Amino acid sequence: MKTKKLLSKMADFLSSDRRAQQEHVGSIKAVLKKLKKKERDLRDKLEGERDPEKRAEIDAKLRVIYAQRTKGVAILKGLRNNSGAPG
Amino acid sequence: MSGRILLFVALALLTYGLWLSADFQQIAAGVAVFLFGMLALEEGFKTFTGGTLEDLLRGTTDRLWKSLSFGLVTTTLMQSSSLVSVIAISFLSAGLIGLTAGIGIIFGANLGTTTGAWLIAGFGLRVNIGAYAMPLLVFGVILLLQRHRTLKGIGYALTGVGLLFLGIHYMKEGFDAFKGSVDLASYGVPGLRGLLLFTLLGTAATLIMQSSHATLLVTITALASHQVTYENALALAIGANLGTTITAIIGSMGANIDGKRLAAAHLLFNLMTAVVAILLLRQLRWSVDLLSAQLGIAPADYTLKLALFHTLFNLLGVMLMVPFVDRLARLLERVIKVPEAAIDAPRYINEAALEVPAAAVEAIRKEIRRQYDSLRLELAIILREISEIASGIGDADTILSLDGAKIRLGQIDRRINLALTRLIRDKRITAYMATSLMNDCGYAYRIGRYLVDMAQILFAVRERRLKEAEQSLALDEAEIEKMINQRHRGRSPGAK
Repeated sequence: MKTKKLLSKMADFLSSDRRAQQEHVGSIKAVLKKLKKKERDLRDKLEGERDPEKRAEIDAKLRVIYAQRTKGVAILKGLRNNSGAPG
Repeated sequence: MSGRILLFVALALLTYGLWLSADFQQIAAGVAVFLFGMLALEEGFKTFTGGTLEDLLRGTTDRLWKSLSFGLVTTTLMQSSSLVSVIAISFLSAGLIGLTAGIGIIFGANLGTTTGAWLIAGFGLRVNIGAYAMPLLVFGVILLLQRHRTLKGIGYALTGVGLLFLGIHYMKEGFDAFKGSVDLASYGVPGLRGLLLFTLLGTAATLIMQSSHATLLVTITALASHQVTYENALALAIGANLGTTITAIIGSMGANIDGKRLAAAHLLFNLMTAVVAILLLRQLRWSVDLLSAQLGIAPADYTLKLALFHTLFNLLGVMLMVPFVDRLARLLERVIKVPEAAIDAPRYINEAALEVPAAAVEAIRKEIRRQYDSLRLELAIILREISEIASGIGDADTILSLDGAKIRLGQIDRRINLALTRLIRDKRITAYMATSLMNDCGYAYRIGRYLVDMAQILFAVRERRLKEAEQSLALDEAEIEKMINQRHRGRSPGAK
């Protein structure tokens, strides 16, 4: 029923206040920090690794993390622009 | 398009009706508030479908009597058989309950809806129900505005009950006022013609309002103010039962095969119950009179008698159908079949050995073995990664690590398919063999993807906001596809 959608939208509207948005930004920052640490660990591991297969595996992981971090930074930028909050 | 025209006509008629009579306005508003209350109640209970209800369902549906009781109790509590049916369908689709258990829940839900009639006739019409609605609404809305999920759910449920009460109150007032100006009972049709006509009317009303509860409410309040004859009210109740089935069928059109089977079971049950109720109407009325006398219901208290009738014919339906539940499930499984899979099962490897010379077979075997080994290795890597996420060790400590597994799976799937294409091109294997092998790779790929998808659900962080953040950073299908296609094997990009 259409009203159901309306009802859930109303609930969303009531809860998506400024504080919730700020919490969302905070969570994304926390995940980005975690990814950065993981990236650093993997780089250290890569330096000490001689096995080409394992190196390729680590390299692939690093590329995924890079893509995720790029995405996260873009999301964060978008959220800040929308809310007009200081960086 | 026709749906829109119908809606427009219905709205125009309704507008005319509302303009014509203030009493009708009150009745219509009552129905609207009642329906909105049901939606709010459903919304409230949905909050608890994230765990509690599922645990309950899992533990209480291993026997037929348990699933029957589950349907009965939950529908009584939620006053919505449609929500219970939806939960049953979703559990059936997920393979957590069998069709027999699903049918049991639907039967139980049908019995559970009969409590609604008792609630309206026994409570709603006897006390000033509007007075109960007010505090419920006040507390409900306050809780609704809370951020905490459970409180919000309770808020929705309380608001729902409050609105239901308010709807009943408006309807009662409307019909009482209506009584003075118009006598709808004079339009009553006696005999079999009336029975069939009012059954149809009840079905149509339920279809329009999408709720048998609302039809029963209108029927009972109309009966209480003598706007409809007792005989016709019984037919309306039978029609309401049929109408709710049609809603389920419309709902199952987009559902999977299990949903369709369950909807078919629902239809068969309600159709059978309606036919029995129509055929045995005289005997049922006699039983209602007899039981009413024993229960202390006054002979002229037609609203309670209607509630008793509604319960009796649903109970009769359940009693008639329960012995055949297993047979019904088997019949439905036979009649409504799962469409055959579009891909063939692997079966050409042995035939291939007969078709090509021994040396060639050996070469192919080696080539394929190499691809299979890498596939096996990939599945092993995924299992290791999932186990690391589950135990929180190693560098795969978040569900984001699974994006890498998705990309690797995609790459290996593509590589094997390319290798197989090369084998076909070189005429080393037949197209049939290649199809079979590609299917095998497809199965392995899907097993890997399902494992990864399940791990993403199972091992997501418990904290909601963090989970949302991780999910928003996870790569989507297009991004994964892009990375699979990347041939770049050089140095990884620098950190930001």
